[in-house]
Amino acid sequence: MAEGTGRGELLSIWFFVGVMTLAYGIVLLPYGAWEWFGGHEPGTVLHELHPTFWWGLLLLIFGSFYTIRYRPRPGDKDVA
Amino acid sequence: MQLLAAMLFLQNRQLTHLSPVDIIILLLYFAVVVFIGFYVKGSTNTSEEFFLAGRQMTAWIAGLSFVSANLGSLELMGWAGSAYQYGILATHWYWIGAIPAMLFLGIVMMPFYYISKTHSVPGYLQLRFGEGARGLAAVSFGFMTILMSGVNMYAMALVMKVILGWDINFSIWVGAATVALYVMLGGLRSAIINEVLQFVLIWAGAALIPILGLIEAGGWTNLKAQIAVNVGNTNYTHMWSTLGHFKDNPMGINWVGIVFGLGAIISFGYWTTDFLVVQRVLSAHNLRAAKMAPVLGAAFKMAVPLIVIVPGLLALGVLRDPHTHQLIHLVGENQVDAAHPYSYNEVLPLMLIRYCGPGLLGLGITALVAGFMSGMAGNVSAFSTVWTYDLYGAYMNKRAPDKHYVLMGRWSTIVGMLISIGTAYLVMNAASIMDYVQALFSFFIAPLFGTVILGMLWKRATNWGGFLGLLAGTVSSISMWIYTNFGTAAHKADALAHIALSRDAQPMANDMFRALWSWLICVAVTIAVSYMTTPRPESELNGLVYGATVIPDDGATRIWQKPIFWACIVAVVFVVLNIIFW
Repeated sequence: MAEGTGRGELLSIWFFVGVMTLAYGIVLLPYGAWEWFGGHEPGTVLHELHPTFWWGLLLLIFGSFYTIRYRPRPGDKDVA
Repeated sequence: MQLLAAMLFLQNRQLTHLSPVDIIILLLYFAVVVFIGFYVKGSTNTSEEFFLAGRQMTAWIAGLSFVSANLGSLELMGWAGSAYQYGILATHWYWIGAIPAMLFLGIVMMPFYYISKTHSVPGYLQLRFGEGARGLAAVSFGFMTILMSGVNMYAMALVMKVILGWDINFSIWVGAATVALYVMLGGLRSAIINEVLQFVLIWAGAALIPILGLIEAGGWTNLKAQIAVNVGNTNYTHMWSTLGHFKDNPMGINWVGIVFGLGAIISFGYWTTDFLVVQRVLSAHNLRAAKMAPVLGAAFKMAVPLIVIVPGLLALGVLRDPHTHQLIHLVGENQVDAAHPYSYNEVLPLMLIRYCGPGLLGLGITALVAGFMSGMAGNVSAFSTVWTYDLYGAYMNKRAPDKHYVLMGRWSTIVGMLISIGTAYLVMNAASIMDYVQALFSFFIAPLFGTVILGMLWKRATNWGGFLGLLAGTVSSISMWIYTNFGTAAHKADALAHIALSRDAQPMANDMFRALWSWLICVAVTIAVSYMTTPRPESELNGLVYGATVIPDDGATRIWQKPIFWACIVAVVFVVLNIIFW
């Protein structure tokens, strides 16, 4: 059953969590790479650690896992 | 409400601005939130589905939603400011001020809420004590909830104005319309899905601040040493060792106020009887999930100080002007001037800007917006349920078809939001109203806990006892508030000394002791009146009271399936954390 989204629905709540964080990873990772490798670092404290890149990568991995793990499958449809 | 007062003062400047990548992140969030509302609309056709999410939620989802509904941005920013002002003592509001109550709700109280099949906390009072207690609780809760929603809405608009320079009207209407849309369409189901999402986003947006901050400070031990140097003592990094007397800690409170006022009364009152949070747990799909949800919620709640308290402490240790490298001193909202341009309550945005450039800043702002929206959605969905079940359905139209109540739930969501918007504008024009709204809300929490807990644990409590106890507790709380808040400065100091039992007590102690006294009065009146009136037969109390109810088996067969096992683990971690930060 699609966990928690109700009767007859295919999408799990965790799928929404995955898609949302995956989307943010997709936005942040290339932006962080552009900052890092293109020499466009912001003037923030500890910018030399490239937090945008690494945080974007983390969100991408987290989001990918949840999106794939909880993707809608034909057998998921709840018949209750 | 110090936060709002500070924001009012500061609203003519802005801290930063968003870049295109930040705006993309924010728009993505709004798109998903609204999509969820439309997506679940098809499965919210009955009142059980609309108001209680069909009682289909797992323990994880109900538990996360339970915590998220409370994790509003006003709370995040306010307590980060308190951590700067009072140090690590602010953590008490997340640990002793939450964890024991959450575990108690899950293990002791949830079975009665759940098996009584009540739709709401006022609904439980009706089953246990009759219409008088229900009516009083429903009217006070509905009224206060919707006013609080308005205060939250205005707070969000003001924060966006201060941080980003956004127009207040724009923020109020966009925030309100988005929340109203997804709650009206999908009811509690939609609110819960969004709350889970918001919980994840709050962490995704805010967790980088403590991570990078602790790297900059050189770890926790170095941070403590820097704070001690900067403030001149070590009181800001100890949770219990400074609570022997009111004068020994920055908060002006003692351990009696923290343990009994906060830990035993205010916390239990909020986490076990405030329908805004209890409603999330009532959506669980079976008894075991209903018991596990608050336990899981407690585990997550214990981690929240990392993103709220640590940023405040980091500011005490490392917040320096990037150009002069001088320590930035944050001040109270009344002391902000050219030399001290920032107040305590700006700690979280200041730390966000310190570490987060474009992209991450958008994520942080999205976390704040998500927090505000989860708070507003919590208020408005709880209001719509109490209005429809406990006021409209109980007193105005008792026999309407189920579809009519669902329609009423949708309309009351819209009307509730419009009243909230009206409150937001009222607050905009008269800021002092905010303090009264906050105070009004606190009047009912402690006595309500007294009434509910006696109702659940004591068979002898009678209908009259419950009603009059609740009334007496509420009236006494209001009286004490008037006594300590009006009159000359000398009178107020005397009044505070009487309520908190010490001349050294500060206003924070006032709230704790007022809650303690009003609870004791509620309990004393309930007991006295109950012994003077006729109790209900035990057969009528089945499913409502301990000792008159056979609690059904929750289906747990192995030890790791038992909620009590996980509650013990959470309790042990809670004790260990308090010892570590003693």
